[in-house]
Order: sequence, then C-alpha cells, then structure tokens
Amino acid sequence: MLNVIVPGLAIGALYAAAGIAYNVMFSTSKVLSISTGHLSMLGGIFGAFFIGQLGLPVVVGLVGAVAVGVAVGFLTEIVAVRRVLARSDEHLWLLSTLGLATIIQQAIGLWWGTEPRPFPRVIPQDFTAGLWDQKFWLPVVALLIIAAGMELFVRKTMLGKVFVAVSEDAFAARARGIATDRIRALSYALAGGVGAFAGFAAGQLTYAYFAVGLILTLNGFIALAVGGLGSTIGAVIGGLALGLLTSLATALVGGQYVNTVAIGLLMLVLLVKPEGMFGAKKVRSV
Amino acid sequence: MTSVSARGALTALCLLAIYTFPLWTPNLYLLHIATLVAAYWVLIAGLNLVVGYAGALSIGHVGLLSIGAYAFAILVGKYGFDPLATLIVSGTLGAGCGFILGLPSLRLPGFYFAMSTIALAMIVAEWSLALDGLTGGGTGLPVPGFNSPFNTPAGFYWLVAAIAGAVTWMTWNVARFMWGRALIAMRDSEVAAASVGVRIPRMKLIVFTFSGFTAGVAGGLFASLQSYITPETFVFELGLFFFVCIIVGGRGVILGPFLGTVVLTALPELVGPLAKLGSLFYGILLLLVVLVAPEGIGDFMRTAYERLQKRPAKKMPHPDPARLFAAIAKREAD
Repeated sequence: MLNVIVPGLAIGALYAAAGIAYNVMFSTSKVLSISTGHLSMLGGIFGAFFIGQLGLPVVVGLVGAVAVGVAVGFLTEIVAVRRVLARSDEHLWLLSTLGLATIIQQAIGLWWGTEPRPFPRVIPQDFTAGLWDQKFWLPVVALLIIAAGMELFVRKTMLGKVFVAVSEDAFAARARGIATDRIRALSYALAGGVGAFAGFAAGQLTYAYFAVGLILTLNGFIALAVGGLGSTIGAVIGGLALGLLTSLATALVGGQYVNTVAIGLLMLVLLVKPEGMFGAKKVRSV
Repeated sequence: MTSVSARGALTALCLLAIYTFPLWTPNLYLLHIATLVAAYWVLIAGLNLVVGYAGALSIGHVGLLSIGAYAFAILVGKYGFDPLATLIVSGTLGAGCGFILGLPSLRLPGFYFAMSTIALAMIVAEWSLALDGLTGGGTGLPVPGFNSPFNTPAGFYWLVAAIAGAVTWMTWNVARFMWGRALIAMRDSEVAAASVGVRIPRMKLIVFTFSGFTAGVAGGLFASLQSYITPETFVFELGLFFFVCIIVGGRGVILGPFLGTVVLTALPELVGPLAKLGSLFYGILLLLVVLVAPEGIGDFMRTAYERLQKRPAKKMPHPDPARLFAAIAKREAD
C-alpha cells in the first residue's frame, strides 16, 4: 500500500505545484497559459544542465534553474500575453501561449535532445533507501514550501496584497494607482519561479525530459479544475488526489492507462461540480 | 464585373491543375506530397468548420485521425473488408468518438475544451500502445492499399482528391448559407448568437461530429498512403500542425486554410533546413501570426494591399520643360 501512496504523493505534489503556477498567472491576467507545465520542465532540464553537466554546486544549480524559470515566465507575459490582452478576442491568448509553449518545448528538444536524461542527486544519499529516497520526498517538501510561501506572501506582504487587489478587480486596482501591467508581469515571473522550483525538486522523479511540459500542463490543469480555479489549497488537494489516483490506477490496471484515468477524474468532476472543490462559482450576468 | 468572371476562370484553371496533377507532375515524390496534402485537407476542411467558423479550438484532432487510421488498418488488413466501404466505417467511428468527446466538453469554456481535445489525443496514443493485440502496440501495423483502379499512385491521388473535393463542397455549402452565419455569430459572441435563437451546444456538437467524420475518413486515407502506421505516426505535433494550418490561413474562410495546408505540408518536404526545425517552425509561425496578423495571413495581405491602394496619390507638379520653355518664349515674343 505504501508503495502506491508514496510515489502518488510525490508526482501529485508536482501536479499541485503546476496548478499553483496556473493560479498565480490566472489571478492577475485571467489567462490559463499552456506554457505552465513547460516552466517546470525548464526547472528540471536546467537543474540537470547546471549541476550534472557544468558541475556547479547544488545551490547554484537551484538558483540558476529558478532564474531561468523566472526569466521565461517574464518573457511569456511580454511576448504572449501583454499584446494579446489588449485585443478583445478571448481565444487569442490560448493560441499565443500554445505557440510559445511549442517553441520552448521544441527548442529544448533540439538543444537538449529528445531522450530523458538522469537528474543528479541533490542531497548525498544511497540508492538503497527505497520509499524514503529523496526523489519521493523532495517534491512534497518543495510543494509545502511553495504553498506556505504563497500564503505568507499573499497575507503578510504589501506586494501580495496588491496581487490580491489586482486579481479581485483589476479596474478598481488601477483606479487606486496600481500599475496592473507591472503586477501582471511580476506574477508571471513568480509563476515561472514556482514552476521551475517544483520541476527542479521533482527532477529525479521525471528525469530531465523535454516532453514533461505538456503532460504537466494537462495534469496541472486537471489538479486545478478538480480543486477549484483560484484556490491554492484546492490546487494542493486536487494535485495530491490526482497523483494518488493515477498511482493507484497504475498499481491496479497497469501504467498504460494513466492519462485515461486522469481525464476520467476531470470529466467526473466537471460533470458533478464544475467549479471544483474549493472554487468560487462563477456567475455572469447577461 | 470582369473580376467575377476572371475569378471564375482562375478557379476553373486551379481545379483543372489540381485534378490533372498526376498527368504533368515531374516525379512520383511530388505526387506523394500532393496526395498527402489532399488527405490532410479532408481532415482540415472539416476541422475548419470547428476552429475557423464555430471558434471551438480543437488542438488534439490527431486523436480522431488516429482512430480512423487504426480502424481502417485493422478492418482491411486483418479482416479483409472492402477498403472503400471501410472508409465510411472509419468516418462513422471518428464521428462517434467526436460525438462522445464533444457532448460534455463543448459546453465548457474554450480552454477546457482545448484541454479535453489534447486529452483525447493523449488517451488515443496511450490506448494504441496498450491494446497491442489489436493495434500491434509499438511495432505498429501494415496498412493495405486500395483495390484497382485506385492501386496506382495516380489512381489513389484521384480518389483522395475526389473525396477532398466532396468534403470541400460540403463545408462550402455549410459555410455559405444560414449555418455558416450562425456559426460565425456563435464564434464572435455566444451570448448574442444565443439571444437570436442559435442553439449553441447543438450547433457545435453537429459541426464537431461532422469534423470527426472527416477526420476518420482522412485517417483511413492517410494510413493507406503511409502504408505502415505506429503510435509514433500520430504524435501530438501533427494535431498542432492541422491547427496551425487553419490559424495561419485565416478563420472564417475556406481558401486560406487550404493554401495554408498546401504550403505548410510542402514547405518542410521541399526545404531541407525547415524539416530539421520541425514543430519549432510551427510554433514560431503560430506565435507570429497571432501577434502580427490574428485574422490570418490572407487577411493581413489584403489589408496591407488595400492600405497601399488607398494611399492618396501625392499631387506633385511635374513640370514639362519643353512646354514651359515654349510658353516663356511665346510670352517674350508677345
């Protein structure tokens, strides 16, 4: 039983972190970016590149990977979101982030190769630890840090309160003198950092693999849709539930039906409770 | 209007060129590419109604193509069904899967629907690997060709081109009349369309089911053309390619996506360096088109052309030296 729960929680933590990254970007821009999972993929790839290939210390590798995530998140806002939001067509951001996500994934594929490569050890540890191996608990620890950090950031810091103000009502925030464009760019950078951090922590689980991005985009979205759009605790619970469910499905019917089970969960939740477990019901007056 | 008859003549000439292509093509490789374009177009013409007209962004249509292709390969290859009849079975299966997928997901907001179609592509890829008793798993399946007279490259091209022409004619009919108007109204504002009596979920579902049918038929043709299919044939990037063809060609028109399909299929085959870039090229193209010309390249060129035409002609006095001197001389003489 434990060998179902532990890997499930580990991969679920990564899904949850991707869900939180979605949330951070969605809160300020109302955009669900297809490049969300690719931010985590970058964390894993650049972690392996800095530590494994360049031989840098682990801390430097972590900082470097997160910095890449922050830069790409920032770039996402500038290239794919800012100009598109100025137009009224609501589908355009989907197309532009899809284009950007494809560019990121294929560029990494050309540079890094399309085969998964191993991620170096972050903490010295034998490979005999079994279920207590760092590849299982590092993502969970990273998720705890991210979730706690987000809550502290939103509740205790001025900038966090500005984020909340923009997400609740961008017009009102603007009228109060908040530079909403700048806040939006910052939120994308933050989401990039969160995604890359989680991707780095889960690197030993997913390997440094260029195709992880799209899988995380889909599963992070499922975690978010199950937990409820806009809620950090919802993303955490949704992600962990999704991870446990897919892990259980792998144990029962085999690993080849993982996606099917995940989508089944999504469809079930959308049919029964479309706003998710912790999401606010969206009612629009017409 | 001369432009109408000129346009008619041009269309007739293009159609003639398309349907006599096997007679004057320099080599078989070009014919293969032309057949590929036609097979893709069978799918994209149907998808165009969904993406270009109804505005539902189906990114994972490759899943439906894969279903049609495997159905064709299994029924014809293993059980010896008649290929032409099996095309209809493939199409019906694609339509059925499209219906089942569309029934819940077309009611959701755009992003949810796009994700559901990506999910479909992933599920189909997963199942085609997992059900190896039926699909051959990772090693794949050989796909038989069609019977005479469609068993030569030229004959097969004519078959695919005829089906592509029929599908184009059907989508053109849908797009031209009330249905097309309703779809465009729905794409531009769902609330406004609903308020004038467009039954949105039903319209979307019908169009999506139709696109599933064309995707299934295209799958059969595509598989037969490839002559061997594996799960690797139906990568997610192929679905992205279909999608990019429509966006690049422009939404709400038929000719634009057709030209997009021709150019985007032929370009990587004929220009070596582009093939190496692969999907990176499609990603860059998608991003560029969305940022620079969101209505598609055709519309972008048309507006640019109109802007050039409408530029007020500068009224520069052009002195005519000969006349000027003559006038001066005449004046001095007076």
